[in-house]
Parts: sequence; C-alpha cells; structure tokens
Amino acid sequence: MRSSRLSRIVLLLSLLLLVVPRSNGIVTAGHEDMPPHGIVCTENPTATFTLTTQEGTISLPDGNRVYMWGFSEGGDPFQHPGPTLCVTEGDTVTIVLNNTLSHDVSIIFPGQEGVLADGVPSEPVFDVGGNLTSFAPVAAANGGAVTYSFVAAKPGTYLYESGTEPGIQVNMGLFGALVVRPAAHPNWAYNEIVASGAVTYTTEFAPDEEFVLIFSEIDPVLHMAVEQGLPYDMNNFTPRYWNINGRSFPDTIAPNGAEWLPEQPYGSLIHINPYDVDTHPYPALIRILSVGSESFPHHPHGNHSRIIARDGSVLIDTDQSDLSYERFTVNLGPGQTVDEMFAWTDVENWHPIDNPIPVVIPQLQNLTFGTFYSGSPYLGQTDLLPVGHQALNSCGEYYHIAHNHALQQITAWGVVLSGHITFTRIDPPLPNNCQ
Amino acid sequence: MSKEYLTREISRRQLLKLGVGLVGVTAVSAVVPKALLKPYKVVEASPDVQPARQTAGAGTYRHYAATDGWVYLPGQNLPYHPDNLAPDGLTTYIFGFRNVTSIEDDHDKVFQQKMKAQLTSPMFWLDEWRDTASQGETDFTLRLTNLGLQMRPDLIDAHTLHFHGFRNAIPIFDGEPHSSVGVPISRDLTYFYRARDPGTYMFHCHFEETEHVHMGMVGGVFVRPKQNYLGFGGDPTSAARLGGNTAPGAPMGYAYNDGDGSTAYDREFAFVVSEVWTLAHWCDSHVQLPEWSDYNPDIYMMNGRAYPDTIAPNGGAIDSATGDLIPPAGRPELQYQPISSLVTCNSGDRVLLRFINLGYVEQSFRLTGIKMRVVGHDATLLRGRGPAGNDQNYFTDTVHVGAGQSVDAIFVAPEVDTMTRLLLFSRNFSHLSNPGIAGHGGPMTEVHIYPTSQPLGPQNEPNEWGL
Repeated sequence: MRSSRLSRIVLLLSLLLLVVPRSNGIVTAGHEDMPPHGIVCTENPTATFTLTTQEGTISLPDGNRVYMWGFSEGGDPFQHPGPTLCVTEGDTVTIVLNNTLSHDVSIIFPGQEGVLADGVPSEPVFDVGGNLTSFAPVAAANGGAVTYSFVAAKPGTYLYESGTEPGIQVNMGLFGALVVRPAAHPNWAYNEIVASGAVTYTTEFAPDEEFVLIFSEIDPVLHMAVEQGLPYDMNNFTPRYWNINGRSFPDTIAPNGAEWLPEQPYGSLIHINPYDVDTHPYPALIRILSVGSESFPHHPHGNHSRIIARDGSVLIDTDQSDLSYERFTVNLGPGQTVDEMFAWTDVENWHPIDNPIPVVIPQLQNLTFGTFYSGSPYLGQTDLLPVGHQALNSCGEYYHIAHNHALQQITAWGVVLSGHITFTRIDPPLPNNCQ
Repeated sequence: MSKEYLTREISRRQLLKLGVGLVGVTAVSAVVPKALLKPYKVVEASPDVQPARQTAGAGTYRHYAATDGWVYLPGQNLPYHPDNLAPDGLTTYIFGFRNVTSIEDDHDKVFQQKMKAQLTSPMFWLDEWRDTASQGETDFTLRLTNLGLQMRPDLIDAHTLHFHGFRNAIPIFDGEPHSSVGVPISRDLTYFYRARDPGTYMFHCHFEETEHVHMGMVGGVFVRPKQNYLGFGGDPTSAARLGGNTAPGAPMGYAYNDGDGSTAYDREFAFVVSEVWTLAHWCDSHVQLPEWSDYNPDIYMMNGRAYPDTIAPNGGAIDSATGDLIPPAGRPELQYQPISSLVTCNSGDRVLLRFINLGYVEQSFRLTGIKMRVVGHDATLLRGRGPAGNDQNYFTDTVHVGAGQSVDAIFVAPEVDTMTRLLLFSRNFSHLSNPGIAGHGGPMTEVHIYPTSQPLGPQNEPNEWGL
C-alpha cells in the first residue's frame, strides 16, 4: 500500500517542482494565475460576489470520486470548497446566491452581525405550520436567487456555509472561507497591539506566508443518497474521508490549481522560510477552519503555534494584555476558526563542518529514507540517498508533517497515511537555489 | 477502490484478497513450526551506528527497543478479547517500547526482549539545557533499536521515535519517516535532544502511525526546567531537590521556569491516556486490517491499565539475568504494564499531575473533592508573552485534554487525620467500564492522601508511591 502511495506522491511532487516560482500576488480565483502555495483570494473592489451553486465530483486518494455540491464565483465551473472571499474591514459585502440545484439553498455567515437578505434582516425561516425550514432566507431550487449583504465590521477568519439542511448540505460541500483584513494593516491579522510592560506585539505576518486550511469530512453514503435522490438519516453519519481544503493527503500538498485536481483548486502545503531577525522577522499566518462534526486536534510538527484569535476574535484582554497562547496541538471544535502564527527557528545552527550534530547517522543500508528527506540532517544540504530512492527534496529544505492527531482520521476509507495530513516546508535561508 | 501493490512484503490486504482470513491464520499458526515464529538470527548493527555511551551525568542517555508483545486487559468482547492467540493470562497483542539501557552491553539479552514490549512505554525525562559547563551536561541521546515483530514476521515495519511537541525540531531527530529516516529491523538510530523548553511532552512511533500508535507505542516525556537548579528570583536557595537542593523545605521540582515558585511540586505523577479497540488489536495478531474509519475503542486506559488495575503497584524493574521485566508484586499478568497510576501524597503536598493524551479521542479528567490548578498546556506555562506576561492559570475540577495534547495541573493535598481516598477519572462515563463486565473500569484511579504523621518516602521517579 505504501508503495502505491509513494508513487502517487512522486507524481504530485514531480509536477509540483515544475510549477512557476512562488509569487506573492493575490489574484482572483482562476487556476492559471494562482500562486503555487498559500491563500488564494477571490476579491473584488466592491466586495460584491456572485456565488452559484454547482454540482460536480472530487477525487480522493483511494481512487474514488464523490458527488459534491459547491459554491463557485460567477459562472465558474464547480469547485470544492467554495472560493476564499477576501474583503477589507468596513466593506459592505454583497453576495448574490444563484441556485442551480434541485434543493433550496441559503448561506449563513457566522461571526457577522446585521446580515441582510434581499435588504431585510436575514432570519430563520419557518413554514406555515411553524416548523423551521432554513436558518436563513433561501435561493429557491432550480434557479432561485437571494442577495445577502453585511458590513464586514471586524477583521478575522470566518466561515460561510449553507444554512438549509446544513447537516446534509455542508457535508455536500456548500462552505468556504471569508477573510476580513484590517483596513490600515493588510499584513496584520488584526488591528490590536498587545502590551506587555514596555514590549508590544502585533499580528503582522510575512505577506507571502498566509495560509487557509479548512478541515472537513465526508460520508460517501450521504453523498450517494443525495445523488440518487434517496433519504439519508443523519443519525447514521459516518465520515470515511477527512479533507483539508477539499483534498486528502497526498493531494493536500499539490500546488494550488493543480491541473490534475481541476475541481479542488486549493493546496495546503505550508511553505515558509526560517525565522531571521533581519531577513525574515515575521511568522506565517495560518487560518484554520473546521466544518466537521467533531473536534479535530491539529498537530503541526516542528514547533508550537501561537493561537492569536478564535472565531474571528483576537485574544486580547480589555487592558490590552495578552491572552494568546502557544500549543503543539490545536483542538479545533466544529464550526470554529483559529488564527495561528507559526515560525521555525534554526536554534542550534547545525552545520556539517562548523557545528555537526553530536551523533553518528548510520550508513545508508541501515535506515529507511523518507521521500522528503534530503539525505542530510542539515538545512540547505543534500547528501547521498540509496540508489533508486524516490527523492523529492530540491535544495536541502526541511519538511515537517502537520496532521490531525485523531489518527483514525488520517486515513481515507482503507488507505492509511491520507486524510487530514499536510506538510510544512521550511526552505534554507535566502538566497537559496530552491525550486 | 482498486489499488496497485508494488510490494516489498506480503501486504495484509493481499492476504485478505487471497481469502486467507482467520481460518487460514489459525491454520498457519497450527502448522508452522514454532521456530519459524521465533526471531531469526539478527544482523549485527554495523560499527558506525554504535554511539558513544554518554558518560556525563546520569539520565542523559537511554536505549529503547521497539517490538511487539502481549498485555492483560480486563473484560470480554468475543471473539476479539481476550485474543485467542494470547499466552496464558494475557489478552491483548501490542506494539511497544522497552527500556534496555541497563542490559545494552549484552546484545543477545537485548534481542531476547523481542515479543516483550510494555504498555505504555517507559517514560523518560531530561533537564532543560543549561549553558554553563559547571552545571553539568544536559544533552540527551536516545538510542532506538528495532527488534522486529515476532507475531508478524510478514511485516518488516521500521520504527521511529517522535518527540511530540519538541520545539524547532529538525527532521532527522523528529521521527516522522517521510521527512527523515526510519529504523529497520535489527538496526538502530540515536536521537539527539538539546531541550530548551521545559514542560510535559509525549513520544510515539510515527511509522504507519495510525496502527503503531494505537497498538501501544506511546509514552510520556518531561523536560525539567533549569529553575530546579538555579532557583528563582536570583535566590539559589530556592532550587529544588531535583536540582540538588537538600534543604528540608525544598520542593521536589518546578514544572516550569515560572520565576516565582508558582509551579513548585512535592510529588509527581504522569498519566499517558490511550485506548484499545480490541478489534484492531485482534486484527493485528490475526494478519487482518481494521477499517480505521470504523474506530470504536472499547477499553480506555491510564498508563496502559484499566481500573482497578490502575492502582496496582508499579513494576518495571529489570531482571538482570534475563533482561525481562519483573512483574508488580502479586500481579504477574501486569508484567508488561508496569506503570501505576495511583497517586500517593501527604497532607500539604503539592502534587503535579501530568496528563498526556495519546488516544484518538478527547478526554476530561475530574478530580473529586478538591480543585486542581492548571499551570501548563502543551509544554507551555500558562502565561502571556513578555516582561509583564499575565497569569493565565486557572482552577478546575475537570481537566480537558484533546488527542495529542498535554496538561499540567497541581493540587494541594488537604489536611486529613487518616488515609483518605479521592477519585480521579475520565468524566466521559461511557469510558468508565471494562467490556462485558459489571462495575467500574477504564481510565480511573485513586488519590490516597496520608496524614503528615505517616510521611511517605521521597520519589526517585515519577509515579512512585513512597509507601
């Protein structure tokens, strides 16, 4: 089983290494223009978006394709998950929902206040018998439309998701991320400045190291029932797949817009540079969201993460003192969002000549070697690997896994080492010859 | 779900495809000579992998062996539990680690520990790095030897040791086999740790982790703060006993470099929390694969035991003649589950509880009767950043700890006239039973508070009773 997985990783990484160098430009969704890694913003000067519901299928690492629903911008073809909408604090956000599905659909915006639907407050909908039919006014099945609007008052990381039959529809894929940036500080996650004595801290992050990870799960029986128009009892909900940004490892580390994943445009590789006080002083910002039904304990190897905000609220006390905290595992509850800052520092500065690691690494025949290993323990160095080894390391960069520690969820219906896994890639300090 | 196999082994899935199920395996077990299931002559590790034995200071070097084995867990869930292949008195097939440091000079004796893994793994602890030579050597090395899996000669799994939570780790010492290296059967690798951040961590094998972690390759790690040696506030007399302070009132240690003594403790207990899905363990001994998305554990444990075994005595001593574990007194079936969870203390003692969750579900541990003060999460002191970091610790009776998380909590033992019991248990009551039998079970233990007139002996290691 492992061999087939590795073959797949080889394919993905081989293609990954061919893509164009990283670009910092934020672009609207359109696969050809996407930066290979990091957030892919869909944005609009007027903060007006048209989300059209589409049906389609996605690819999973065991070879299955699963029938899905999704939101797409304008007339774009089906994609999963929905586009990451980026707006600026204070924007009046307008979202026109056009529904092509044979079921009513609505959108709720948890964390936003004063949401309007067609100009009136968006409120739960009840039928004439007083039964709740939707959490928000719907775009009727087969061509209906509704326009939601709200003022994005507070910076932060938010979900948008279906409010109609949400147990079914969110699992079907009707969700996405909404990022609200501070008006005065686009490279800060939040406006607030934390005070600790004479020292202050902001939420400034490295602008090319901003990432969105949406954790989801799929019960394929639910999807089959919806596709075939059959009833489904949510009490039987049994997830079999666990996805990050709509992909399951190893697809998670393929680049944004990978042409072999046309319906799943968003990668999850956390591609960063090491901390350096002069050349790289700011951490990565990782915006984590869950649309799952239970807690997902996300554990990035390599270092702790500093949790700076939960559910779009920055962790600061009323006296400006610090309420942020560091964790090696972030236990993300259903529907929660967490913003974390992540940096990795070459603390020991190991060097093959000047500062060698104090233990002897066995000879090649006495170890197994990972696909991402450079052959050398040292950052920026490569060394011999066994003949025939499938090496995907380009320049002595480090890789660290980042995964859900409910380890039954790093599988994909019988395939192990899949599901909620991505990797952090740490490049040697600039300048480097990395691809 | 068709898959291609470029096999390096006969995969378990292939065996299934061939229709070799339980019946076949049972038949194989019956007809294959026992000798074939014994470890074949292992290849000597090549000379270049033998690390220099650490000489500076005790406790800076450990040698662990990774293998399989059998343990005892209560209850019944047929046909999976007890496992019909288990040796007499034992029930459950595991993977695990053993501490073979004391016998490592006898290579044969080390390899005789194949099929003698323990649950949960031996904990280890190391001092935070101190940068002046006069304060002693703190670099820590851990040599891992892979003994192979005796019950599963078809599996040629490597093993690794992942120090979960180690800050600014480099891949070679992280133990995640895709970003670094793994240790094949009969080979070894020495991991190096210069620990700069005190707290409660954990370790586990990261090779085919869903299986290997569930099978039991889990343990606790602590990094002890340099405040134990240096004291706080520039006052060396506030150093701890672990740092060599023999003054009568000195605490045993500090959980963190708190700068004010607020994490001082007099006794120390650690609980590695995990689960057994008896079907999955049965699958491993019977050359089957579980469907992990059906995950449904039926035995929940503290330190690899279910109540009331959690309060049985500590074992863990090594028989120097055989290298094997000596069972806890009166409990031969717990030979390979040596770690007691019974908390013993005197009135007035500050008792540090280190909760480490290496199961796959979140847990809430409740202490009846008195409050705990939570001082750390995930090897991090609960304090804000910077020179005026605000105190974020809190009191609770129920500690929530997610999968892959750790929590440090301290309680102060109340005044008692006679030995008094408190209960410490998973508040998820559905976990507090052992399969198929009445009464209380699962992740529960007791806190025994003795009056000061019955002083307990000091702890040399975490979880020691001192009775």
